Amino acid sequence: MTHPGLPDIWVYIIVSFMLILSLAVILRFNFSDFKLIKKSSVTLAKLWLIGAAIQYLTKSRWPLFILKLITVAFFLLVIYAGLMGTPVPERNIATVLTWNIWWAGLIISIFFLGSAWCAICPWDALATWHVKPRLWFNNWRLNNSLELTPPRWMRSVWPALIMFAGLTWLELGYGVTTSPYATALLSLVMVVLAIISLALYKNKAFCHYICPVGRTIGFYSQLAPVELRPLNKQICVDCKTLECFSGSETVDACPTKLVMGRLTQNTYCTSCGNCVQSCPSDNVAWRLRAPSQEAIESARPHWDEAWFMLVMLALTSFHGVTMMEFWEQGLRSFAQKIGDSGQLLVSFSSGLILSVLVPVAIYALVIELTRRLSKSQLSYKKIFSSLVFATLPLAFAYHLAHNLNHMIRESVGASQLLLNPLGTNVSYSGVADELFIKNSMLLSENTIFSLQALLMMFGFWVAIKVLQHRSKVLFADSKTVVTMMPVLLFVFAVNSFHLWMLMQPMVMRIGALCVVPSIL
Amino acid sequence: MISKNNKYLKLIFLVVAVFISAQALAHHVLGRPAYSLNEDSNTPPSMQVETQIGKYFVTYMVYPAFPKPGERGRVNVYASRIENGDSYDGKMSFKVSNDVFFGDKNEEFLGSQLIDDGVYRQGFEFKDNGAYIITASFESDGEPYSIDFPLQVGETSGMGPVLIALAVIVFILISVNVVQRRRLMREKIRVTRGSGNDDSENSTV
Repeated sequence: MTHPGLPDIWVYIIVSFMLILSLAVILRFNFSDFKLIKKSSVTLAKLWLIGAAIQYLTKSRWPLFILKLITVAFFLLVIYAGLMGTPVPERNIATVLTWNIWWAGLIISIFFLGSAWCAICPWDALATWHVKPRLWFNNWRLNNSLELTPPRWMRSVWPALIMFAGLTWLELGYGVTTSPYATALLSLVMVVLAIISLALYKNKAFCHYICPVGRTIGFYSQLAPVELRPLNKQICVDCKTLECFSGSETVDACPTKLVMGRLTQNTYCTSCGNCVQSCPSDNVAWRLRAPSQEAIESARPHWDEAWFMLVMLALTSFHGVTMMEFWEQGLRSFAQKIGDSGQLLVSFSSGLILSVLVPVAIYALVIELTRRLSKSQLSYKKIFSSLVFATLPLAFAYHLAHNLNHMIRESVGASQLLLNPLGTNVSYSGVADELFIKNSMLLSENTIFSLQALLMMFGFWVAIKVLQHRSKVLFADSKTVVTMMPVLLFVFAVNSFHLWMLMQPMVMRIGALCVVPSIL
Repeated sequence: MISKNNKYLKLIFLVVAVFISAQALAHHVLGRPAYSLNEDSNTPPSMQVETQIGKYFVTYMVYPAFPKPGERGRVNVYASRIENGDSYDGKMSFKVSNDVFFGDKNEEFLGSQLIDDGVYRQGFEFKDNGAYIITASFESDGEPYSIDFPLQVGETSGMGPVLIALAVIVFILISVNVVQRRRLMREKIRVTRGSGNDDSENSTV
């Protein structure tokens, strides 16, 4: 079964938008100074009507604790159902909840809430409760961690990048998404890794360096409309105790060791709110901001992070490619040529590697061309790392548009799965059920198409802003139009490719429960 | 009054169910089991695996989808040449073994079958729950072909991985605890020796 692709009318609109914007860039219209929201940020706790509620939610530890309990309960249910329930993926809550609801919804949640998921992540909650439990919020705390400093090779996002590629291989190649049992095993492995990491290393090394989900959330959070930041920077400058960094008697230290006064990007913030609770001056708060402001201006380029963003773009596109109908045909032909059989894992792995190498190689060439055109003395690494931020909104926008299909079309039926999470003694579906559910999506098809189109335009718009701003900072102002042309073409080509994929019918990941309720 | 309440409850449930129901069709992954559960189909619910090997595209189906111990079941295998879709029409033999990484695979011969209406049919009946591997073997153009397919009979004994995970966690926590105690002990000894040295230095002075 496939999902229908984006209708032609939307494609014309998006392509026109991209062409007009590109032309405007060539004609030196500067978008990077254009801001939809003039005021840089709004403190959420000071908002009328919802301010008090937000203040309570961020200052009290109970709401977060209760949310953690809920996510841990669902996580344990996923493991139990995966191991003990039906192997039919669309009838077992393990696969539907993990891949259709959580994995698809997670990316959508970043668009609104940034890295909020990390604050209630069950992997980290279980690891903390095992290794460093703090009972009932009192001062007594057991610390069963060796608190070693992670080795140098680990102190980057390379481990998370490898994990991300591994997760993609398991998800799309091995087919963990279609196996409740494998889903449960993967969940167990992740929680064991989190526990081992916390037991060996200081702080939250797993969240900081290893977790592919956390790093993906972190980078995409640069485009989120919310941030945890100091209200008054001068208070942070004058602060000598740095409770946000080292914690207080009752509140834990920042898990990723961020100093609030110097924080400029969301990448490593896990939204745990410890800094809000520990700051003696009440100077840290959640703020609304112009989305993407960080990717455009604040985020600092690092070599390993640049690679993560680039590979994330490649793997996001690869997700889309594997759900095209032509993918399986191509895979089979290739497998026949090389004599691959069974799950065709060798062929799949070759495709995965190629899908990463091609965009990376093209980007590397584009940057070399940019460097030559600019006649700049800047190092290749510097230009590579700085301009890669333009790919982030492209990956995020396509990821969101792609996941909307999974989320809206496939994640329905959850209520029935809650009634029978293990999928035991499921009745079989038939034509009556298909007719019954035909019009039962949460959003209409046209709404999904509209949202996808808006996202694609949003991604391109932000990418252009990032490119213009960063080119201006990197190169002399007079040369920017010429020097940014290669990357502009790259951005245009990538977004066009994503758009083309959205136009194609998309093969479903897994379906959802479809049984006419017996109550009828 | 009660029935009226029930009616409302039913209505609420129905609205919720209608709102969040969707179709049950899966993205098929080559070599991974997929389940055909359509009650309107002519065939009973089945588990099937599609894959390719060499010059052949092979489909393997198990009836029923979830065989139980003591229940008679059947494996159907279709093998067709990739380039022209022609069915393989030679002899095909079937073996079964335990699906285990370690330990006794206990391989047994199930039987040899000839093609019947384009399909190779092999019956089976298992006494015990378990994960098994069915191996279909045939020869074509002088080359041997052998394909393994999974078969789950009865309930999975699924809590093993949880026990392994728990064992790993307990081992790690205990090891870390032991190392920490040693560290503390060393620190105490160092402090005691340090203060002892200080005392002796003081007494000398």
